[in-house]
Amino acid sequence: MAITLKNLTVDFDNRFQCKKINWTLNRGEHWLITGSNGSGKSALAAILAGYGDIEYGVATNLPQRVGLVSFEAQAELIAAERRKDDADIMDVITEGTPVQEIIDAVTTDPDTANQLIEQLGLTPLLDRAFRKLSTGETRKVMLIRALSCKPQLLILDEPFEGLDAKSLDALQLHLAKVAEHIPVVMILNRLDQCPGYITHIAYMNQGELQQTINRSDTEAHDALLQLLHLKTTDLELPPADPDFALPVLEADQPLVKLTDTAVRYGDTTIFENLDWTINRGQHWQLTGPNGSGKTALLSLITGDHPQCYVNDIFVFGFKRGSGESIWQIKQFIGYVSTALQWEYTVGTSLRNVIISGFYDSIGLYSKYTDNQKQIAEQWLEVLGMSDRANDTFTSQSYGDQRLLLIARAMVKHPPLLILDEPCLGLDDMNRQRVLALIELICSRSESTVLYVNHHAEDKIQGIENHLAL
Amino acid sequence: MAENYFNSLSLREQLEQLGKCRFMHLSEFTDGVNALKGKKMVVIGCGAQGLNQGLNLRDSGLDVSYALRQAAIDEKRQSWKNATENGFTVGTYEDLIPTADVVLNLTPDKQHTNVVNTVMPMMKEGACLSYSHGFNIVEEGTKIRDDLTVIMVAPKCPGTEVRAEYVRGFGVPTLIAVHDDNDPKGEGLAIAKAYAVGTGGHKAGVLMSSFIAEVKSDLMGEQTILCGMLQTGSLLCFDKMIEEGVDPGYASKLIQYGWETTTEALKYGGVTNMMDRLSNPAKIKAFELAEEMKDIMRPLYNKHQDDIMTGKFSATMMADWANDDKELLGWRADTAETPFEKTPAGDMDISEQEYFDNGILMVAMVKAGVELAFETMTAAGIIADSAYYESLHETPLIANTIARKKLFEMNSTISDTAEYGCYLYNHACVPLLQDFMKNIKSDVIGKGLQLNDTGVDNARLIEVNEAIRNHPVEEIGATLRGHMSDMKRIV
Repeated sequence: MAITLKNLTVDFDNRFQCKKINWTLNRGEHWLITGSNGSGKSALAAILAGYGDIEYGVATNLPQRVGLVSFEAQAELIAAERRKDDADIMDVITEGTPVQEIIDAVTTDPDTANQLIEQLGLTPLLDRAFRKLSTGETRKVMLIRALSCKPQLLILDEPFEGLDAKSLDALQLHLAKVAEHIPVVMILNRLDQCPGYITHIAYMNQGELQQTINRSDTEAHDALLQLLHLKTTDLELPPADPDFALPVLEADQPLVKLTDTAVRYGDTTIFENLDWTINRGQHWQLTGPNGSGKTALLSLITGDHPQCYVNDIFVFGFKRGSGESIWQIKQFIGYVSTALQWEYTVGTSLRNVIISGFYDSIGLYSKYTDNQKQIAEQWLEVLGMSDRANDTFTSQSYGDQRLLLIARAMVKHPPLLILDEPCLGLDDMNRQRVLALIELICSRSESTVLYVNHHAEDKIQGIENHLAL
Repeated sequence: MAENYFNSLSLREQLEQLGKCRFMHLSEFTDGVNALKGKKMVVIGCGAQGLNQGLNLRDSGLDVSYALRQAAIDEKRQSWKNATENGFTVGTYEDLIPTADVVLNLTPDKQHTNVVNTVMPMMKEGACLSYSHGFNIVEEGTKIRDDLTVIMVAPKCPGTEVRAEYVRGFGVPTLIAVHDDNDPKGEGLAIAKAYAVGTGGHKAGVLMSSFIAEVKSDLMGEQTILCGMLQTGSLLCFDKMIEEGVDPGYASKLIQYGWETTTEALKYGGVTNMMDRLSNPAKIKAFELAEEMKDIMRPLYNKHQDDIMTGKFSATMMADWANDDKELLGWRADTAETPFEKTPAGDMDISEQEYFDNGILMVAMVKAGVELAFETMTAAGIIADSAYYESLHETPLIANTIARKKLFEMNSTISDTAEYGCYLYNHACVPLLQDFMKNIKSDVIGKGLQLNDTGVDNARLIEVNEAIRNHPVEEIGATLRGHMSDMKRIV
């Protein structure tokens, strides 16, 4: 029978919460749970083992006997042993509980236990005190306990960590066989270690189960790989091009100052009497319903709106309409929008798309430097697309194109980064990837971010100011 | 009417002017828009060219405003709306022209005399008058005040493209010229260069030409290969396919998109590459058809070039202008009634290669037209560079318009001058090719050769290949495409 978690919120000692989990594990499925550190992978698995206090929602058909291997369970057992030791007030030196006893305490399947003891090389250690074992050795004991208790469900949280190669092989073989009749839920940071019998993948982020994908869906699988790359790898943003320094802006001047601005088409007023000052380092979120003029307002700033010449606009040290060129404005801005993606139909390579950010062009029409090429390649590495540098942009998936355009916008480390509904038109997985990249940028760069969106759930950490049209 | 300017020159001067055309190096534009900085540019004509060039120039930091007739302002006509909604200053001729340092005349050819006669007296001493086509100066012989500088800046694309490419950070190929009779301060070239930079043209490549070379080559190209040949070819090929029992929807589609597909190959690698897309037997067949058509059409191409050179063409067309465009409008209506124009393209799939395989005659027509136009132009003293741009280079651009909405779109996108010449050509060329078409079967248009054996004679293939490759349009084309791709580099 399927295990079902329905709209489940579970609290773990007020330290952590899994929120609004909806998850069904059907017979014959083996799951991998993945996500960044602290995302709630182990907590989600622990719910299946009956841990945590259910605050809301329903969990049905949770298994009676769970074989659980995790760092937490391992630590708990070690701590219990230590307490036993401390509790011994007799002035006798105790060796602690021997390994054999620790195993026998839970085993209902001695044949399996003995077989694994031999395969994992624990035979010489059976008489030794459990708490004297090394970390790797205690982990093996945990594995044997979990596998020999005739479990209805196996939960293996990073089971391969700390095992020697020989033991690893033995364990893999054993698990592959076990998986034929016992469902497995495994937690791994790295998808490339994922065993062949895993059929489904769950992705956790900030205590929420954000994605469940069938492993045979290769497109979703690849996207998830990339998301994990962005989320779990310690990535540095590539530097700006030192030979391509932007003019220095006066520190105390606002980046943007709009005074009493309006946009009108014929008799229709889109907005009017709008004042807005964006100071350096002041991240803004701009929201408003369709047609409220969000994009028109942005394009007054970028100079793409012809009415920027009839408004009182001060940007990057220029009063608009005083003889400056649009390229002098654009050099300070990194810009991403769905419209840009639609316009970016030039058949050029991924590398060139990123380099084009140095020139604010759609397509690349200038001779770039080796340095710029290198920086573009570093960005491709951040995106996890190094192997595709020479592929054509238009042949990429919609989500990948969006990531590339964000890298293009950031390549010159612009003082102002404008993200006009960067998640528009993206499915959940791609939305996660884009947000992961934007968060990385917000935390690692000096750009002031101007973020436009509809979706309240697409919050970006670190944006405090809000303008609603 | 004033005297035809070209005819007023000596042969020596004529040849010198016709021979002007040089691809300018990017390093010649390092001064950017400086020559126009702080100058007042006033545009006349707020259509596609006028509006979009103005948008580009303003975004390049230049001071642009629009002069409209009082009536256009009072009635809030489309031109007034275009200019004001885009945040431009709009005023009457009387208000703006006297303040202008540069007046940009971006009205259609047939309004030029009227416009220039109106604005010239208002222009301030030593100002500059700019054209985007030399017809008014060269063919109508309008004499411009001696103190005024006269230049031409002609982006070689429709106005919307001029804007779209600029926004992308690029530009469109642009032709510039200075009218030697009107360059009193010797600043014409500097202004023309700055103007080209302001529209983004310098990034895509600028040709330095003369008013005369521009007019005489432009007229020849658009009448013959560019519009005329494609119109004639479309009508003849369609009727032949119907006669041969090809499905009308298929025939319509093969032509509507076939020009675009086959000339795309032309754009990348000239006639050689276009012919190389055919199988060996088809290539030899297309070569032979083209040779035959060239012999038939040569007198017609010569006649067009002669009439353009002597001014007969422009005089004929201007007579029609004076007659309320009776001929033009009649021919336009006739074109709309042709079977090709009235048969919608079918929804079958035609692969890229199939357009070549089943369109051998179309490929042959493009080859014949390009080569003949080029040969005729160079024989008349136009230098190879100009002749290349006005024949081979622009053919894919015109073919794109047919792919969009057939001949209607082509004829409404091109200038009235081109359209008039196109119909003239078509009326002469269709009967001229009548006998030739009698021998044409669906193997070369509609169904393909369908050979079991695609073998060819080695000696014949070598002979054909050499003839294709050694044509002078291929030599100059290779050089100029080299320049262009150097500028465009990767895209």
